[in-house]
Amino acid sequence: MKNFEYARANNPADAVRLVGDRPGATFIAGGTDLLNLMKDGAQTHDRIVDVNGLALTDISHGNGFLRVGALARMADVGAHRAVREKFPVVSQALLASASPQVRNMASIGGNLLQRTRCGYFRDTGSACNKRIPGSGCPAIDGENRGHAVLGVSDHCIAAHPSDLAVSLIAVDAVVLTNGPHGERRIPFGDFHLAPGDTPERENVLTHGELIVGLELPLTPAAAKSQYLKLRDRATFEFAVVSVAAALDLRGRTVNDVRLAFGGIATKPWRSTDAEAVLRGRALDTATIDAAGRAAVHGAIPRAHNAFKIDLVQRALSRVLHELGGVR
Amino acid sequence: MSKSAPVRTPTDLTSSVAGGIGASPQRPDGNLKVRGEFAYASDLWHEDMIWGATLRSPHPYARIRSIDITEALKVPGVYAVLTHSDVPGKNLYGLEHPDQPVLAVDVVRYQGEPVALVGADHPETARRAMERIAVDYEVLEPVVDMEDAAHGRGTPLHPGGNLVRHVPIRHGDQQVTAEVVVTGEYEVGMQDQAFLGPESGLAVPGEDGGIDLYVATQWLHVDQKQVAQALGLPLDKVRLTLSGVGGAFGGREDLSMQVHASLLALHTGKPVKMVYNRLESFYGHVHRHPAKLYYEHGADRDGRLVYVKCRIYLDGGAYASSTPAVVANAATLGVGPYDVPNATVDCWGVYTNNPPCGAMRGFGAVQAGFAYESQMDKLAAAVGLDPVEVRIRNAMHEGSLMPTGQVVDSAAPVAELLRRVKDKPLPPVNRTEPVDIREMPGGASNTTHGEGVVRGIGYAVGIKNVCFSEGYDDFSTARVRVQVIGGELSALAHTAACEVGQGLVTIMQQIVRTELGVERVTIAPMDTTIGNGGSTSASRQTYVTGGAVRSACQTVRGRLFELAARKLGVDAVGLSLHGGKLVSDLHGVLADLVDVLGDDVVDETVEWRHRATESLDPVTGQGNAHVQYGFAAHRAVVDVDVELGLVKVVELDCAQDVGKALNPEAVLGQIQGGSAQGLGLAVMEEIQTSGGKIRNPSFTDYLIPTVLDMPPMSIDVLELADPHAPYGIRGVGEPPTISSTPAIVAAIRAATGLALTRAPVRPEHITGT
Ligand SMILES: Cc1cc2nc3c(=O)[nH]c(=O)nc-3n(C[C@H](O)[C@H](O)[C@H](O)COP(=O)(O)OP(=O)(O)OC[C@H]3O[C@@H](n4cnc5c(N)ncnc54)[C@H](O)[C@@H]3O)c2cc1C
Repeated sequence: MKNFEYARANNPADAVRLVGDRPGATFIAGGTDLLNLMKDGAQTHDRIVDVNGLALTDISHGNGFLRVGALARMADVGAHRAVREKFPVVSQALLASASPQVRNMASIGGNLLQRTRCGYFRDTGSACNKRIPGSGCPAIDGENRGHAVLGVSDHCIAAHPSDLAVSLIAVDAVVLTNGPHGERRIPFGDFHLAPGDTPERENVLTHGELIVGLELPLTPAAAKSQYLKLRDRATFEFAVVSVAAALDLRGRTVNDVRLAFGGIATKPWRSTDAEAVLRGRALDTATIDAAGRAAVHGAIPRAHNAFKIDLVQRALSRVLHELGGVR
Repeated sequence: MSKSAPVRTPTDLTSSVAGGIGASPQRPDGNLKVRGEFAYASDLWHEDMIWGATLRSPHPYARIRSIDITEALKVPGVYAVLTHSDVPGKNLYGLEHPDQPVLAVDVVRYQGEPVALVGADHPETARRAMERIAVDYEVLEPVVDMEDAAHGRGTPLHPGGNLVRHVPIRHGDQQVTAEVVVTGEYEVGMQDQAFLGPESGLAVPGEDGGIDLYVATQWLHVDQKQVAQALGLPLDKVRLTLSGVGGAFGGREDLSMQVHASLLALHTGKPVKMVYNRLESFYGHVHRHPAKLYYEHGADRDGRLVYVKCRIYLDGGAYASSTPAVVANAATLGVGPYDVPNATVDCWGVYTNNPPCGAMRGFGAVQAGFAYESQMDKLAAAVGLDPVEVRIRNAMHEGSLMPTGQVVDSAAPVAELLRRVKDKPLPPVNRTEPVDIREMPGGASNTTHGEGVVRGIGYAVGIKNVCFSEGYDDFSTARVRVQVIGGELSALAHTAACEVGQGLVTIMQQIVRTELGVERVTIAPMDTTIGNGGSTSASRQTYVTGGAVRSACQTVRGRLFELAARKLGVDAVGLSLHGGKLVSDLHGVLADLVDVLGDDVVDETVEWRHRATESLDPVTGQGNAHVQYGFAAHRAVVDVDVELGLVKVVELDCAQDVGKALNPEAVLGQIQGGSAQGLGLAVMEEIQTSGGKIRNPSFTDYLIPTVLDMPPMSIDVLELADPHAPYGIRGVGEPPTISSTPAIVAAIRAATGLALTRAPVRPEHITGT
């Protein structure tokens, strides 16, 4: 680890200034991802600004929204009654993440900005376009079981690891920020970036811009939602593939539906194409299968991850059958 | 309240001393470990110590054009920067073949190979200095295919080529044919020992120019020999003491930081501490050999084996480590615990640029076990028999002949073990509503409430050799001392055999209590001031060091009787020891041992060997190569979500013959732990490599089973004494690791109908996509 300076922010403006001032500075919340990256040398900073003292931990609801502070802990949000009742998909995504110890430390804001588990990205001995732009992507022809099949580019196929983010994109959350240029409201779908030619850029935040919270619109679909996560062991592991689904049925007909996927894409992946297949139709096995096919349209398989294309459709089918009570 | 001592011994003579063999007294280190107060090697500390760090190769294969340490030496706080030219002795070491440089000279053969060392006032200073060491590498194309390496294709990585060892076994008729033939190709992934305590130790320079090394290891004397050779010092100037070991499982049999810390200490004149972090630990120890196995079983229509032919490839990675022994195990145990009249076995262990592999619990037997047990299931299906029935029809028994021609000359209750696991009641299929999702495939991930779930049951049985084989002079040294301390009778047992968590310290206490009737037994620190204790591997310490301690006790007892005869004027014949009293067959209690001893001290050191073994004939593989065989059988019950490819092992039951359970609770612990490690290999554990590089060197990405993955176990322990072994014991640690993996995979096959030829099984193997 390189030497770095530590500063504690007393209010959001302070935090924004302390990071904004210095190109090598960054925020630290729970530190559960940042510290590992710094120890492994995958990320270096000359100043870390501790934001844990900021009063951004509230969880509240009213006026058609649920609001969650950026520093609320994963454990607290996942267990919160309003979250469980109004956004089961979010609660389930959180409680299926990491371990109780990690969830007690890790914050909501930090979760959205955690970096990929790609082994090449985390190994400083390897080339990686995300870590060193232009150095190459060994994953494309290397070990890529954990990698993405959607949203990929010739420069990067690293999967986005966050479960929470997949659930949030499915419920149309808005990210609230406070930065050097003032406050912003960023619709979740616009927040993360696919790698394209600049895999080092993973979101639209500007340097020094602080996530202060999330706003989640209360909808009938969100209240009837589910997160399904497939992983290589029973607990304490990232997703091989995951599905976040929110469904509002009128009789057997799909009035509203939101579908998002994890483990298969370079960013939290919402499939409006798959949603369009279902919307206005009677929910049955045939339409569910058609939605599955739409969801993976354009997927690019690699040597070790082709299985995900089929597996994610099976997972979607499982969720929709269960959520829609389809036999 | 401390419970580390057994309850007090009753005073009547009919009952023996408490906490002896057959009881399960608490471990002397148990409370400290549970409370987090036990000092592991990473907790070692010394005034004025400095920190050592290792610069490692980022490339699996590269030529080193130059190493420039100039800038690193300029970093304030740096005491030394060392390269291969600073190795005063032989810059090659190795468990069986010295082929591994202490520090790389002009070539690196695996990612993580040590290239230079830094000694500095702080680990961070050392790290910064390492960044300033300029190594100019010419990166080369790595050799990664084990079959190519076995057959002379590809770049030779060592002077003698890439074949480390080939063991052929030719048993019976080599031309025989059979009515029913089943074939299969199998693969076993690279498993890691995943011990929790990273490699660590402290090297203290001695005033005599020697070194005192405190280290977590599995074999003090083999370390001592290699360190002395590398340092160019005589053995008596390299003194090792075992420090707290946080798990081993084979991964500490090879050197890690031992020579490095000692070099730095001698160079700087300061005590040097080295502790690997988790990432470095993954590079810093050997793993389980990944394997590729080709099998053909021939049988008659009743499922009786006519022949087995197999070819087994084991990837040893960059250096030999214990590859030769792993190859011999896989070959000699390659057909499993069955009566096989004709066998053709070939096993190759090779060099590649993959991470070095060596000993890991069940070494060689685990890889072969996965293949031959998969074959037995195939055979059962081909002849229309139940998988247990086909195994019982072919089960080896006492008196059976191994493919090496060796007669199995003690209990081999293979059929009995299988019957026992088969006869256990099965867990209910229909769960109560609402289902507890933690008991479902997918676990806490909420993937199913029963949809898509199919149950499967699988069986396996395995065989493992216990102790060191092939003519190796395998022995242990024990010293036992009896004296009166503070008016109380007290014994001390001293060996160089390493306690790595398995409970040898408890076993030694138990043996002394039983043999000498002395309740208070202290275990001296394990070090090289006493003779070789041999390796804590091959399930051998209870057998060999246990045997040595018992033998030392017997010598001590003889001396005590002589003393008593002299002091009390009685005949030394017909005396015995009970609960601290000297008893005569004829006259009952003669005296308290405390009074007999007085100020005298009885102190005896004994070297003890198990019966000799022979080497294998290099052409036919014939020979009495092994000391003893151990057997275990498993039944696995799994629920598989066949749509999503997820597995829940619902129950994992085991029956094992241990000869004699010296400590029944420790036996259960070994069986549970070994079975869990086998479960890991069955469904999740694998070091993923590509192009020779490890892709998942962390416990976030290398998965080991959690409490939600490991099911309850029902365990039967058989005690069929081996007349050749001390107390009749049979090594316990490894057998349960062997049959656990194939039983689980067989159960997944039963649920899915899939062939599943690779361990670990992953979701994509089940969904077939
Ligand atoms: C063993 C392990 C297993 C895990 N398993 C899972 C899993 O199954 N699913 C899953 O989704 N996640 C998993 N994680 C990831 C975990 O959820 C994240 O590490 C965690 O959410 C990050 O939150 P943090 O508060 O610790 O962030 P930090 O590590 O403190 O920060 C992460 C990043 O976010 C930035 N940051 C933090 N807060 C803010 C803010 N308010 N505004 C702007 N930037 C900010 C930091 O600068 C840093 O770049 C796992 C992690 C570990 C260690």
